[in-house]
Amino acid sequence: MRIFDPHIHMTSRTTDDYRAMYAAGVRALVEPAFWLGQPRTSAGSFTDYFDGLLGWEPYRAAQFGVRHHCALALNPKEANDPRCAEVLELLPRYFAKDGVVAVGETGFDSVTAAEEKAFTAQLALAVEHALPALVHTPHRDKAAGTARSLDVIRESGIPAERVVVDHLNELTVRQVLEAGCWAGFSIYPDTKMEPDRMVAILREYGTERILVNSAADWGHSDPLRTRATGEAMLAAGFTAEDVDRVLWRNPVAFYGASGRLDVRPQDPDPALLFAGNSVQRGSR
Amino acid sequence: MTPTHPQPTTLRFGYGTNGFANHRLDDALDVIAGLGYEGVALTLDHAHLDPYDRDLPARLEAVRRRLDALGLAVVVETGARYLLDARRKHSPTLLHEDGRGARLDFLERAVRIGAELGAEAVSFWSGVLPEGTAPERGWELLAEGCARLADTAARAGVVLGFEPEPGMLVEDLAGYRRLRDALGAPASFRLTLDIGHCRCLEPLPVADCVRRAATDLVNVQIDDMRRGVHEHLEFGAGEIDFTPVLAALADAGYRGLVAVELPRHSHSAPDTARRSLAFLREHATPVRATPVQAVDAALTAQGRTWLAAAAARAAAEPAALAADFAAAGRACGRGPLAAPGWEGWTVDEAVRAVLLAAAPAPAVADLYARGDRAERRAVLRALPYLELGAGAVAPLLEDALRTNDTALVAAALGPAATALDAAAWRQGVLKCVFLGVPLSAVAGLDERADAELARMLLDFAHERVAAGRDVPADVLPLLRRHPDLLAASPIHAEAGSPEPRRAEAARRVLAQLG
Repeated sequence: MRIFDPHIHMTSRTTDDYRAMYAAGVRALVEPAFWLGQPRTSAGSFTDYFDGLLGWEPYRAAQFGVRHHCALALNPKEANDPRCAEVLELLPRYFAKDGVVAVGETGFDSVTAAEEKAFTAQLALAVEHALPALVHTPHRDKAAGTARSLDVIRESGIPAERVVVDHLNELTVRQVLEAGCWAGFSIYPDTKMEPDRMVAILREYGTERILVNSAADWGHSDPLRTRATGEAMLAAGFTAEDVDRVLWRNPVAFYGASGRLDVRPQDPDPALLFAGNSVQRGSR
Repeated sequence: MTPTHPQPTTLRFGYGTNGFANHRLDDALDVIAGLGYEGVALTLDHAHLDPYDRDLPARLEAVRRRLDALGLAVVVETGARYLLDARRKHSPTLLHEDGRGARLDFLERAVRIGAELGAEAVSFWSGVLPEGTAPERGWELLAEGCARLADTAARAGVVLGFEPEPGMLVEDLAGYRRLRDALGAPASFRLTLDIGHCRCLEPLPVADCVRRAATDLVNVQIDDMRRGVHEHLEFGAGEIDFTPVLAALADAGYRGLVAVELPRHSHSAPDTARRSLAFLREHATPVRATPVQAVDAALTAQGRTWLAAAAARAAAEPAALAADFAAAGRACGRGPLAAPGWEGWTVDEAVRAVLLAAAPAPAVADLYARGDRAERRAVLRALPYLELGAGAVAPLLEDALRTNDTALVAAALGPAATALDAAAWRQGVLKCVFLGVPLSAVAGLDERADAELARMLLDFAHERVAAGRDVPADVLPLLRRHPDLLAASPIHAEAGSPEPRRAEAARRVLAQLG
């Protein structure tokens, strides 16, 4: 089973996770920029984070045979802090980078005016830089927040098929698919979605324009929930072909629209990391 | 690819008029410019622009026009032997209680002449400590005089180059630093360095003297010399290896004149000057060319068009440069650059090097700071081809060496690492060993590896042995070069350790070391 986790925060995870993910079949992932669990207080804190998502984290991932790309944005929660607003001006430069395959996470948290302003501005940047967008939906008042998000997406002029609306559930999936966007599901140990519920959604809506992610971060979460979902699909009678579509070909198609995705197989061998040249020592 | 004729260098060579004492000044300037020198070190003397000449203003104007017409840059030198006292050489000096007023007056005239001529520096020395004067008093007098001159120079918009001179009160770089610090390091008080003097009496190798003095340098005199003998010799007649010296000057970003100082060769001045310039050009580091041709051959027609447009806007459009620099791989490809001499480079790196060469110098640090891994590595690899100076290069290398990313660490220890001081460079080499970067990635390892690096690596080897582990093979040759250090290493005692793992590891490495 080859797996592309389209939404996972590896900065918060250990090398044990990378090893376990590789063993479970994860070969590629996208790490969207989000908050730290604790508010940032300046734009500089974001640029260091972005630099890490373009520098150290892909390097770490490569050592475990995992292709790492990122999505960058000012996240909805911190869009409310005026001290962080400058990030919007810094983003265009980052959107030129090879490792950036989408704008995200953007969207609503508490559905404030400041959030809408940042959301709108970042969708415009996505259009300008020909990048897909990863839209976060609020945990509170989710259905209304999702509907509002779809309005903003429509008004932005970004093609619907370039947008994934994430953290969906049984009650929000239909409006997203009907709007022509991709539907993202974060499979969590307890909250959000579970593998069996995900299987039920796949039965009802099919496998087209569906993305399944672990959204694993610093909280109670599990980077192997993607694999668990694949197994639940097989147990429920889905074919290996269906599983491959949901867990690999769909995310490759979605982020591949950036023109910057590289999912060629890569050995988890630290010796192969020196820009394609071996850095293996003579005798160790 | 051996050049058949001299390659251009970033260094600017000049010749001292005190080596043309038997020529009229105008004739000397003609000959010097005609040979291809870019400047002169003009010693004010009886026959060469006498500062006490009644017609000085007119004479000065004539010389200024002559220098302009010939395209010669100028530094003013004040070492005339019998200008102030017809009987006693180089007298009086700033150290003479009685005569120092005359010296100060002369030097202040020299500063004003320097200002009139647009001189890049006005050079002077301390003088020999007069018999019967205590050294402390000599330093007092010198500091007092220098402070006044620094002030005069600052007001005239001229920079002083103080020259340590063997046999004088301040005869070496340590003395210069003491004097500079005593004055509070005013901006108008900098250093004239005579390369021959370094060989004569400095404790460090000549190229190291240059590196350590680089930030203070405003004027360089160059000549050959032997250890302990203050005699200015033609190139090749002394003991100096000039290739690393000229490389150190170029790598340090020194842009002042490097003027041949052969005051005892006036009898053969035109021939000596011709031979000297040929020698300097032959031994100077050629300007390294960015891989323009190599990359051109690697590009598709589309890539070529893209690069031409990107390079054309690199100088004037910072936002476009930043975006182009990031997009280089997507636009031009990332495969290996298949061109002789550029092994190990990728197409995107070479494209980025071309963009950096077209970009304004201050943009380089920004592109590094805001770059992703590949962009940063490209900047590090391109540094030897950009004329930034060690002061701009070293901070980028040091940043890369703080990371744990093997690609960046290895790139930081390429040819650009000449900008690192010895301590930072040694730490970088040790970091390679710890990160598993093969030492073949370190440029100039054999030349630069010193006893202190061997000591550090030997301590590292001991740690490995104490942990029962082997020592990386590429470290061993650096240890073998220091049999004295090896003989004294506690690794020998480890061979008798009661712990078999330690004893075996010690025996293995000692066997490898022979």
